[in-house]
Amino acid sequence: MTETEQLQAFEARIARGEKIEPGDWMPDAYRQQLIRMISQHAHSEIIGMLPEGVWLQRAPTLRRKLVLLAKVQDEGGHGQYLYHAAETLGVTRAEMIDALLAGRAKYSSVFNYPTLTWADIGMIGWLVDGAAIQNQTMLAHCSYGPYARAMVRICAEETFHKKQGMEQIIRYTRGTPRQKQMAQDALNRWWWPSLMMFGPHDATSPNSAQLIRWGIKTKTNDELRQDFVNKMVSDFHAVGLTIPDPDLYYDASSGNWISGEINWDEFWRVVKGDGPCNAERLQARREAQENGAWVREALAAYAAARGEG
Amino acid sequence: MNDTLLARNVLALADDSLLLGHRNSEWAGHAPILEEDIAFANLALDELGHAQLWYELHQELTGREPDETIFFRDAADYLNVQLVELPKGDWAFSMLRQYLFDAYENVLLAHLVNSSNARVAEIAAKQRPEEMYHLRHTSNWVKRLGLGAAESHRRMTAALNELWAYALQLFAPLENAQALTDANILPDPRALQTEWENQVGAHLTASALAVPAARAPRAKSRSEHTAHLRELLTEMQEVARSEVYGVEW
Amino acid sequence: MNDSQWARYEVFEQERAGAPHRNAGSVHASDAEMALGNARDVFVRRPNCFSLWVVPEAAVFAKTAQEVARDDWYAAPAADAPRETYLVFSKKGQPARETFVEYVGEVQAATPAHALRVALETFPPQDVFVWWVAPERRVLKSEQADAASMFAPARAKKYRMHTFYPVEPIMRELKSAQGMLDNSEKTTDND
Ligand SMILES: [Fe+2]
Ligand SMILES: [Fe+2]
Ligand SMILES: [Fe+2]
Repeated sequence: MTETEQLQAFEARIARGEKIEPGDWMPDAYRQQLIRMISQHAHSEIIGMLPEGVWLQRAPTLRRKLVLLAKVQDEGGHGQYLYHAAETLGVTRAEMIDALLAGRAKYSSVFNYPTLTWADIGMIGWLVDGAAIQNQTMLAHCSYGPYARAMVRICAEETFHKKQGMEQIIRYTRGTPRQKQMAQDALNRWWWPSLMMFGPHDATSPNSAQLIRWGIKTKTNDELRQDFVNKMVSDFHAVGLTIPDPDLYYDASSGNWISGEINWDEFWRVVKGDGPCNAERLQARREAQENGAWVREALAAYAAARGEG
Repeated sequence: MNDTLLARNVLALADDSLLLGHRNSEWAGHAPILEEDIAFANLALDELGHAQLWYELHQELTGREPDETIFFRDAADYLNVQLVELPKGDWAFSMLRQYLFDAYENVLLAHLVNSSNARVAEIAAKQRPEEMYHLRHTSNWVKRLGLGAAESHRRMTAALNELWAYALQLFAPLENAQALTDANILPDPRALQTEWENQVGAHLTASALAVPAARAPRAKSRSEHTAHLRELLTEMQEVARSEVYGVEW
Repeated sequence: MNDSQWARYEVFEQERAGAPHRNAGSVHASDAEMALGNARDVFVRRPNCFSLWVVPEAAVFAKTAQEVARDDWYAAPAADAPRETYLVFSKKGQPARETFVEYVGEVQAATPAHALRVALETFPPQDVFVWWVAPERRVLKSEQADAASMFAPARAKKYRMHTFYPVEPIMRELKSAQGMLDNSEKTTDND
């Protein structure tokens, strides 16, 4: 078969709804796009452990401590599943981690914002995990089998993350004046970063058309963001919180809540490494990698001496 | 009389598990490799879960709710051993501490499942399968680190020399606990210590780690604490104490 | 052991007695015993497991149907080459809930390629998209005696399940009190 015939056969498989599996023929651009997307997604899960992790030792009840530790641990598990999915495309986890620690790889900009109060934990569950679910539910239908399967596992777990956050915030909106204030303050700080999680507008998103053509994504950034805004505005209004967007309005003809413009300068600044916590997040990962080197080496030596590994 | 005494001993068990789980949760996101980050968090979750079971029994005996006991009690009233309040140290220190504690829990629970107190026996039976897994996990790690490389051996030896006398405090009884042993509610701590030293000693030796000579526990009373406990509690209780007890979080 | 992340082991998970072992993903580990433990900690954080198998990724011979059709992968083994047991896994069809290769049976063979050739003759190849074979001696299996300590504990952690947080009825109540329910939300009232 010529390259063109192979490409046609490949696109016909995707059109039939077949999953592409490791070993199958795929265009190099498909492979490269997937490696980029999946490894970024994996890094986001791993970096995502950090902003919530700093509150593990301050959770105000034993139950909250258990829930938060289980959630932070799940995020590590998500990173694990996703690194596996990328590994099936021929890249090693060591290479991906090196790229992250060297600052060559991107991850979700939302994790470069600081967690300032305990209410941020609930708000992150509701908003940030909520946005992740919006995106990941779509990716569970991705044409690449290993990515789709990782998403199926992850989505089931993310529902717990979102609901524990909702439970917490709902309580605060009915709690003490200080708790109410904390919940509103957390929404004020996390609303815009969570909208940014869906990425640039379709018009400025160079990969979008091809990703959709190849069944990697089935919706555009703006479509996903709109679905998210509609759901969240109605939820937050119901619990009596105010969306920090003076331009937000309801458009009766489309049935959509239309939000004001995202601060794209801030978005690109944070993505490119200059957000409030970028340096701190990468530093934490580098330290973990360096402090763990002697451990990994010792176990490798132990296995090698016994003919294993 | 026995209820008050039992409550104090149950509280000691609860505090040990709580603080060990708390300390180990500090590794979440920072462990040497991703799979172990997840595995170590599992151990911490289990320890926190075991603490919860003991605090619930403590509540049945005293009427004090677990969260009040945990977040509205000062360092002087905590009954944990100093072993679990020490900062997490390096990976050798945390892993070895977890191993020494898991080995103790395994010998302890093997007795507690036969306790004459039905609730104690029931809680012990719930914890035991998880603790068997803990010991399998941590004893494997101790062996690999002990035998793995010069650097890991050096760090494990340093950690063991530091931790040993702290671990011996696990076998120092609370005042008047003999009455609970006589009533077959709790095991005899001297018997426990002998079992623990035999098992742990054999495994450390097989892992090329020399059992330290220290025979005396670092502290005799569970009311004696290091400055680390106050620091730990200040952080742990900060959010809870920003509102009065009873607020829903 | 060629990098900082140790070797990779494929993980097969059996959800309940009688169900086939199905590939769940992989774990990195320094040895097989650790791989089995890591598989438990990574894939059994929730109660969905009856038994686990791990096998070094390097010991798996994997071919998609597309690759099998190319027929460039087979070389006949020597007639007197010793046979051993290989486990055979396949991905059948394109199920709605996406799943991957699962255990279908075993064959006796001399080499991985030979095992795949025998598998193609033994198991119906229609509708199979992926084949995996691996020598059984490289597979480490969890023991049933350990099930209580390996798999049962996940059941006690109810707080990991989203059903532990009944927030949906609260949201519906709030919205209906404020006349905010749309039709799609009204219809789910009794679930
Ligand atoms: Fe996640
Ligand atoms: Fe999450
Ligand atoms: Fe334990």
